[in-house]
Amino acid sequence: MALRFQNIKKKFGDLTVIRDISLDVGDDDFLVLLGPSGCGKSTLLRMIAGLEEVTSGEIHLNGRQVEHLPPSDRNMAFVFQSYALYPHMTVRRNITFPLIMREHKWWFHIPLVGYLAKRRIETKPDIRELVSITAETLGLTQVLDKHPRTLSGGQRQRVALGRAMVRQPAAFLMDEPLSNLDAKLRTAMRAEITRLHHRLGGTFVYVTHDQVEAMTMGTKIALLRGGDIQQFGTPREIYERPANTYVARFIGTPPMNLIEAQFQGDSLRIGDRLLPLPETAPRGDDRKVWLGIRPDAISLTTADAADALPVRVTLVEHAGAESLLAFDPGSLRVARDEDGQSDIMATQSGYSGIVAGDRVGLTLDIAQASYFDIDSGLRID
Amino acid sequence: MRNSVKIQTRRKDPARFLPYAFIAPLAAYLLIFHAYPLMQEFILSTTYTSLLDPSLREFVGLDNYRDVLGDPEFHKVLRITAIYTVICVSGGVGLGLLVALLLDFNFRGRGLARALITIPWAAPPVAVALIFIWMYNAQFGIFNDILSGLGISAEPINWLDDPQRALPAVLFATIWQIFPFSSVVILSALQGVQSELREAAIIDGADKLSVFKAVVWPTIRPTVAILALLLTVWSLRRFDVIWVMTQGGPLGETNTLVIDLYRRAFVYLDLGHAAAVGVIGVCIALVVTFIYFWLSARADRAAGK
Amino acid sequence: MNRSWAFHFRILAVLAVLGIAAFPVYWMAVTSMTSSEELFAGSPRLLPDPAQIGTYARALVSTPLLTWLGNSLIIALGTTALSLLLAILPAYALSRMSFRGKLLLALGLFVTQMLPEAMLVVPLYDIFSRFALLDSLTGLILANTAFAVPVVTWILKGAIDGIPTEIEEAARIDGCSRVGIVLTIVLPLIAPTLAAVAVIAFFQGWNEYVFAQTFISDESLKVASVGLASFVGELSTPMDTVMAVGLTYTLPAVVFYLLVQRYIVAGMTSGGVKG
Repeated sequence: MALRFQNIKKKFGDLTVIRDISLDVGDDDFLVLLGPSGCGKSTLLRMIAGLEEVTSGEIHLNGRQVEHLPPSDRNMAFVFQSYALYPHMTVRRNITFPLIMREHKWWFHIPLVGYLAKRRIETKPDIRELVSITAETLGLTQVLDKHPRTLSGGQRQRVALGRAMVRQPAAFLMDEPLSNLDAKLRTAMRAEITRLHHRLGGTFVYVTHDQVEAMTMGTKIALLRGGDIQQFGTPREIYERPANTYVARFIGTPPMNLIEAQFQGDSLRIGDRLLPLPETAPRGDDRKVWLGIRPDAISLTTADAADALPVRVTLVEHAGAESLLAFDPGSLRVARDEDGQSDIMATQSGYSGIVAGDRVGLTLDIAQASYFDIDSGLRID
Repeated sequence: MRNSVKIQTRRKDPARFLPYAFIAPLAAYLLIFHAYPLMQEFILSTTYTSLLDPSLREFVGLDNYRDVLGDPEFHKVLRITAIYTVICVSGGVGLGLLVALLLDFNFRGRGLARALITIPWAAPPVAVALIFIWMYNAQFGIFNDILSGLGISAEPINWLDDPQRALPAVLFATIWQIFPFSSVVILSALQGVQSELREAAIIDGADKLSVFKAVVWPTIRPTVAILALLLTVWSLRRFDVIWVMTQGGPLGETNTLVIDLYRRAFVYLDLGHAAAVGVIGVCIALVVTFIYFWLSARADRAAGK
Repeated sequence: MNRSWAFHFRILAVLAVLGIAAFPVYWMAVTSMTSSEELFAGSPRLLPDPAQIGTYARALVSTPLLTWLGNSLIIALGTTALSLLLAILPAYALSRMSFRGKLLLALGLFVTQMLPEAMLVVPLYDIFSRFALLDSLTGLILANTAFAVPVVTWILKGAIDGIPTEIEEAARIDGCSRVGIVLTIVLPLIAPTLAAVAVIAFFQGWNEYVFAQTFISDESLKVASVGLASFVGELSTPMDTVMAVGLTYTLPAVVFYLLVQRYIVAGMTSGGVKG
C-alpha cells in the first residue's frame, strides 16, 4: 500500500476538523479528496505534507510511518493553489531550488562560500539535465530564464508542477491547483496533469471542490463532509452507487433527484402510480424509501400516459447540446437541498420544444435507480 | 453660438477651480513656512548677520561657505554626523528586524507585547534624554551599578563627560528610542509574506535561515530599504535628545550638523555661518529624500505588478 | 518536547526585549518615588516606595509643572486642529481630483515631510522676530503645524485612496456636493486614520523642543519639554522631583499612544512609510 491513513484525527483547539479517517491508496493511484469548503480536505492534505500535525493516528507512505517527520524528510512535493513561486527567482532557479535544498549544508549560509556552493550544484551536469528535461516536458524551455511575474497563469501552474516533478517525490500533493485558471485553461491542465500521472506514476493526492475534476482525474475519490468520509471508491462507484443521499446529491449536475417512494411487493409506489421493480432492485414490505434517479434517466411523455408521473414544467434551459428541464413535483414528496431547491430535474439532448407551463408525463428508468433509507439516508442494496 | 459656448464654460467654472480652492490654504502655508524660510536661509547664508541685531546684514557672498567648508572643526562635525547616522540606522534597522522576527509568531498576549514594545517610541525625546542622563550618572546612575554588580567595572564611568564614551552613550539612547518604530514597520511588512510561499520552501527542504533568505527577505526588502532611508533623514535632523544630553560636547564629540548649526546661531550668535550650515544640511537631506522618493516609487511599482 | 522548549525560550526572549523597552520609563517612576537619602545611598532601590508618593504633590508646588503642561497641551491641541483643518481638503484633492500642479504639490509635501526643522530654525527665528511671533504660543503652533501638516496630508491621502470611488459616485448621483461628500462620506470612512494623524500631530506639538527652546523666553509661556530640559545641569531641584515632572510629562503621551497605536501603525505604514 503506497499511502495509508490509520484513524487520523485532527482538532484545532476544541474544533474537530477530521473525525476519524482511515484510507488505503495503492501505488499508482490518483486520489482525489473531494468535498465542500470546510470539510477538512485541505487539512488532510496538509497533514500528509507535514504542514499540520496530526492530533492522533498514523500516516504511512510506502511502508514508512511519516506523521512525526518534518516536511522536508517526507519526500513529498506540494503544488499550492497560488502556485507559491519564489517571485525574485527565475523559473530555472525556482525549479532547481528543491534540488539545492536537498544538498544544503549549514555552511551554505556563509556568504560567498554558500553562494559558490549553490552555483556549483546548479551547474552540475545531471542537475542541469534534470531541469532541462523537466522544462521540456512541461513546455517551459523558452521561459526558463524569466521571472514568474512575466508568465501567464498556465505557465506559472506548469512551473509549480515542474518544481514538484524535479524532486522525483514519493507522492505529489496538490491543493486546488487549477482553481485560479480560467475555464478553458483548466480543462487543458486537467488533461495535462492526468497525462503526467500516467507518465510519472507514483501516488497523487489532489484536493478539489470541483466534482468534474474529481470524476475526470481521480482513480479513487474520497468524498468528505464535516471531517468524515462519506464514500471512498472509484469515480464510477461513486457516481453509480452513491453510499448515501449526500453523495448522491453532491455528484452529478444537475444532481440526482430524490423522490419519496414505497416498496410494495415487486412494485414501487410513487404517488398514486405503481411501477414494476427490476430483478436487481432491493425489496422491502411497505418500506418507505428515497428513490434516487439521475436527470438523464427521466424521459418525457404525455401527461395522461399510463405509468408516467404527471407534472408541470417550471423552467427550461437550453445549453446547446442538451436542455435542462425543471418540474413542479406537485403532490410528490422530494428531498430538499439546504437552499430549498425542490424541483425534479431532467435533461434532454438537443433543443427541447417544451416551454414552461406545459403539462407532461415523466417516465422513470428505474433500472438505473438507487434507493436510500428515508430516515438515515443510507443506501439500500 | 458663441454665447452658448460662453455660458457652458461659465457653468463649468466652479468645478474647475474647486481643486485649487481645496489646496490653496495648504499651498500658501507651505510657501510661507517652508519655501520662504528656505529662501531666507539662503539669503542669510550670504551675509554676515549677528543674532544681536538681525536687521543689520552685511553681504559677504559665498565667504560663509568657504569658512565653514574649510574649517577642520566642521569636518569633524560631518564625520560625527556620518558616524551617528550610520550607527543609528544600522542599529535601528538591525535591532528592529531582530525584534520583529522574534515577535512574529502566535502567542497569548501578542497584541499587548506589540503595543508595549512601542513605549520608547511614544516617550517624548526630552524625557528620554533626561532619564538617560540620570541612568548614565557617574556616581548614582543605574548603568554603573549594573556594571559593578556584574563585576565588569568597579570604577564609576563618567559616560556623558568622557569624550570617548559620550557618542556611544547618546547612540545607545537614540537606538533605544527608535528600534520600536523599525520593529513595528517590519512586523507589518512580515504580514505580507505569503504563508503558502513559506510552506513551499519548507516542503522544498529549506531550513529556517534558507526560508528567510528565499521567502521572507525578498518580501520585506523594499520596506527595509525605505525604512533605512527614513531613519537616515531622522538621524540627520535629530536635535532634542543630543542637545539635552550633551549640547554637542564633550569637546564636540557629539556635535552633529544640527547641533553645530544651533550652537553657531544661538551660542555664538552668528546667523550667517549658521545659515550656511543649514543650507548644506538641507542639501544633504534633499539628496537622501530623493533617493527615498525613487526607492518608494520603485517599491510601489513592484507591488503593483 | 523540543518544540515547546524553543517556544518557551522565545517567550523568554520577548519578555527580555519588553523589559528593555519599558525599563527607562519604569526607572523614571522608581526614581520619582525614592527618597533623596536612598537615591544617593550605595545601592539603588529597585521598586518604587509608595511612601514617597508625596513627591508628586511637591512637584506641583515647587515647579511650574501645571503651567508647562497647560502650555504644552495648548500647543499640541492647536497643532492638531490646524493641521487637520489644513490637510483634509488637499488630501482629498490629491487623491481624487486632477489639476495642474498636482505633482508639484505632492513633491512639495514629500520634500517638506523630510525637511529637518532644526535646519530651518535660523530663518524662522528671523521671520518670527519680524512678525512679533516670538514669545507667543500662536507662533509655536504655526511653526509646529508647518512640520506636522505634510505627514498628515500624506497619510490622509493614502487612506482616501483606499475608499472605493463607487461610494462617492453614488453620493454624487444623489446630488451631494464635493465638500458634502468629504464631510459626510469620506471623513467617517477614514475615522481610524483621522485618529492616527490627530495623534501624530498632537505628538509633534507635545514633544517639540527646538522651536519652543528658541522662540520662547517668557517663563509663563514655557512648555513642558523646555521646562524639563531646564532641570539638566541645575542642581537645586531634587532628582525625585525632576523625575516626577518627567513622568507626568511622559505618561499622557505613552498612554495616549498605546490607546490608538494600532491605527498609528496602520497609518504610518500605509501612508507615511510607503510614500
